[in-house]
Amino acid sequence: MSEKWRFLITENNSASKNMAIDRAVLVANGEGKVPPTVRFYTWSPAAISIGYFQSLSEEIDLKKCKDLGIDYVRRITGGGAVFHENELTYSIVIPENHPQIPKNIMESYCRICGAVMKGLKNQGIDSIYAPINDIVSGGRKISGNAQTRKLKTVLQHGTVLLDVDVEKMFSLLIVPNEKIRDKMISDVKQRVTSVKHILGSYVSFNDSVNAMKNGFEQEFNVRLIPGILTDYELVLTDKFEKECFANPDWNHKR
Amino acid sequence: MISKSVYKIPDGKLLKISLDYNDKNEKILGLLITGDFFIYPEEAIEILEKKLVNTTLNEKILMDKINNVIRENKIEFIGLNVEGLVTGIMMCLK
Repeated sequence: MSEKWRFLITENNSASKNMAIDRAVLVANGEGKVPPTVRFYTWSPAAISIGYFQSLSEEIDLKKCKDLGIDYVRRITGGGAVFHENELTYSIVIPENHPQIPKNIMESYCRICGAVMKGLKNQGIDSIYAPINDIVSGGRKISGNAQTRKLKTVLQHGTVLLDVDVEKMFSLLIVPNEKIRDKMISDVKQRVTSVKHILGSYVSFNDSVNAMKNGFEQEFNVRLIPGILTDYELVLTDKFEKECFANPDWNHKR
Repeated sequence: MISKSVYKIPDGKLLKISLDYNDKNEKILGLLITGDFFIYPEEAIEILEKKLVNTTLNEKILMDKINNVIRENKIEFIGLNVEGLVTGIMMCLK
């Protein structure tokens, strides 16, 4: 009989809350209080997340974000700046020593990305893992992923682009100079794709949830059982949001 | 003296260094290592940045120092490597 993991859907949360939930689940799982968990989520308002090592003011046009009502947050994971709008974001939290998770970090990226690729396949999209942390379809990026390991626990979160607005994304990012903005936009348009672009019609978050969920179940041979955050996780979420992700000291720390 | 560099690690990520150094004795006063790479554990970046203060800006010395910090703190780089980090730091002098 297949192992049961918890499955969460949390829609329309702020950037700080989304990142606080991921960390809360990581801590709760690391303390043995909750089972391995897969969460699908969306962002409201739209937001930019930056990697742990990035400089906020060097990556993001904060004034433009404010003008357009775009949220921003520093992640606990490395990697690059991501504009979260029209995407399915996933996170998986699982003990480092779980038999399904390779000890080697790069191998574990590949394995978890396998679940995302199966989810895409369930929607009729062929894709491959492109190290270090991307998934590409037809040579173009459709998913970016980032992993951290704390408390002997793996947290990997990532995106599946349902639609993409490269112009809007670039209007929010700092570019070396305005002259090359157009060139960068056209380059990125060549390198990025989306579910909508490949299938020719828009697929909503709700419409892609089942396909993606089945992808995780197939990859890890588990059953994902719908659940909710525990009271302990909700307390941790509040705590991490205040201490970290909604705190300017954290977001501006680099 | 404050200087910056941007260096794309071959087969890796984009590394940005902001370096404050004494141009008389060429020692590091402070530095910020930023970019879209991965370091495990993440908090080790702050240790690395602190340990590099007062280090002489010389490739061999930087390489040894960084390797020591990596060994002592069991740090793993992904999309970044010691050679690239040293290159990025030394580029600030040019």
